Amino acid sequence: MAESISEASHSGGLVKTLMPYHVWALGVGIVLVGEYMGWNFTIAKGGVLGSLFAMLVAGTMYTVISLCASELGSATKLAGGPYDWARLFVGPGAAAIVGLAVYMEFIALEAADAIVVAFIATEIFPELQVFPVTLFVIALLTFINYRGVVGALTLNFALTMLAFFAIIAFFFTSTFGLGGLEVHPEYLFEGAMPNGLIGLFAALQFGPWFFLGIEGAAMCAEECKHPTRAVPLGQQAGMITLLVGAAMTLYLCSSLIPTQALGVSVYPLFEAAQNGGLFIFIALLGVGTLLTCVASANGCICDASRSWYALSRDEYVSPWFSKVHPKYSTPYRAVIFTAPIAVAFAFSGFLDQVITFSIISGLLCYVLIPFSLIRFRKLFPESTSKIRPFASPLQPYIAYFAIGIAILIMSTLFWGYRYNLIFGLLFYAIAYFYFSSKRKDTSGNDPLWSELGWPEPEHTGSRNLKEVTGIECSSR
Amino acid sequence: MSAAAGNATGSTAAGSTAAGAAAGSIAGNAALQAKYRSKLNLDSVLIAIMLALLYGAQLFLVYSVLTATKPVLAEFPGLTPIYLLFICLMFAIETIGCLKVRHSIKQHMHEFAYYD
Repeated sequence: MAESISEASHSGGLVKTLMPYHVWALGVGIVLVGEYMGWNFTIAKGGVLGSLFAMLVAGTMYTVISLCASELGSATKLAGGPYDWARLFVGPGAAAIVGLAVYMEFIALEAADAIVVAFIATEIFPELQVFPVTLFVIALLTFINYRGVVGALTLNFALTMLAFFAIIAFFFTSTFGLGGLEVHPEYLFEGAMPNGLIGLFAALQFGPWFFLGIEGAAMCAEECKHPTRAVPLGQQAGMITLLVGAAMTLYLCSSLIPTQALGVSVYPLFEAAQNGGLFIFIALLGVGTLLTCVASANGCICDASRSWYALSRDEYVSPWFSKVHPKYSTPYRAVIFTAPIAVAFAFSGFLDQVITFSIISGLLCYVLIPFSLIRFRKLFPESTSKIRPFASPLQPYIAYFAIGIAILIMSTLFWGYRYNLIFGLLFYAIAYFYFSSKRKDTSGNDPLWSELGWPEPEHTGSRNLKEVTGIECSSR
Repeated sequence: MSAAAGNATGSTAAGSTAAGAAAGSIAGNAALQAKYRSKLNLDSVLIAIMLALLYGAQLFLVYSVLTATKPVLAEFPGLTPIYLLFICLMFAIETIGCLKVRHSIKQHMHEFAYYD
């Protein structure tokens, strides 16, 4: 770790040492927990066909989001990820809500993960209590992130690899009937579509569980050794890993657990292994459930702190948080600040509300990330080594398509979560108008493209540009 | 005469040093090229394996579910094409995306010294 830092090329900023597998570990580490638990609510709403529909629709949307994130991440190479893309290409109001949405999305997810780790720990060791274990998990992971990004993401890589390997091994053993493990294809038919076509669409609201947070992989671009290779490669590898994991998980659980039980299961993959009856997989999937929660919470701290750091660097929030540790090269104040907020979320007593808020925040990002890409392409149409080393295909058509799907999925939250949706959108609308008006009179609002090594946009007048991207970069 | 001979010897030595350096540089370049080619091939193999896994897992799932639920799907004739449409879209976008990733790495690997 110390060697890595000494070898790194950094000048008072974040350390630049991450490789493509770290990007993969960050993205998949955050999301894989959604395949171990949570995705099965799609089954409760729409049965097996509803779940498949939700997985395919959400999977297509996330494939596009991943490509957008790859292009924007490898072009800007900034730690704020979606926040920085919105700041540069859309405007201060959009930047503020994306920055906040990313922060809330990951903090809420971290809180939920820490609680689940604590619950699992108390089930294994009944003498433990949920509150102190949750605190311990949050404190320990915050400390690991404080000490350095390489250590944190290498840990994530090991945890995530093991959890993913457990799914693959379980899938091949079940599919080929090894070890006497028997699947029940009749379960697929029995619970095909219990609530008709309405259920099929209602299932869409839980589709993001399979992939929620994969866009966060690109948020380590500023800390990558070669972001133009690491971000696209790591991000696409991560997306494919999740698509493979989702397909295997859906098949395994649907053919090993009766639909009614699957729809309300807390740990569906673990329960599928229990129904399979092979001890090795019961142990593997049990450990996998625990590890994915830890990996997810760990990745969430990394992403949430970078988002807060970027907001602070541009003075959307107090610049006090933008200090980088002189020895570990981490945004340590932003990292430490994640802990009290996560604890507050964790002990609000409304875990499902917290998770729904996380999903709404994510969906808002899925509207604004492709929109940022559309604006980016309009401002800088040419692909060059300096501006756009990786150009995602079929743009801007697939970006519009992803925006449409994100809005469609958001609208399905009206089935059961309408107040959460209204509250969430109201919160972000207020943030939009507050930050837009706050930044309106700030001097030096035009982005300094030269700091990114880019020329001035050719096809946009400076006045028009100022209206769209009225932000301050002079503090950098 | 001896000075001329010495000069001649010196220039021959300098020439052979320069030739040696040039040969070393060519050999070094060739080794670097070979290293970059092999690393790029590794990235390409990784991308190919990932895509193969994606096709295999997703097609297996879609085939298993659609065949097991055929009687239900028969009641809603418009559904099967929607599933097929989305799986095709996903495959097409991801495949083209991965090929673009490889193309981008190949295009910029020397410029950004990816494998040094």
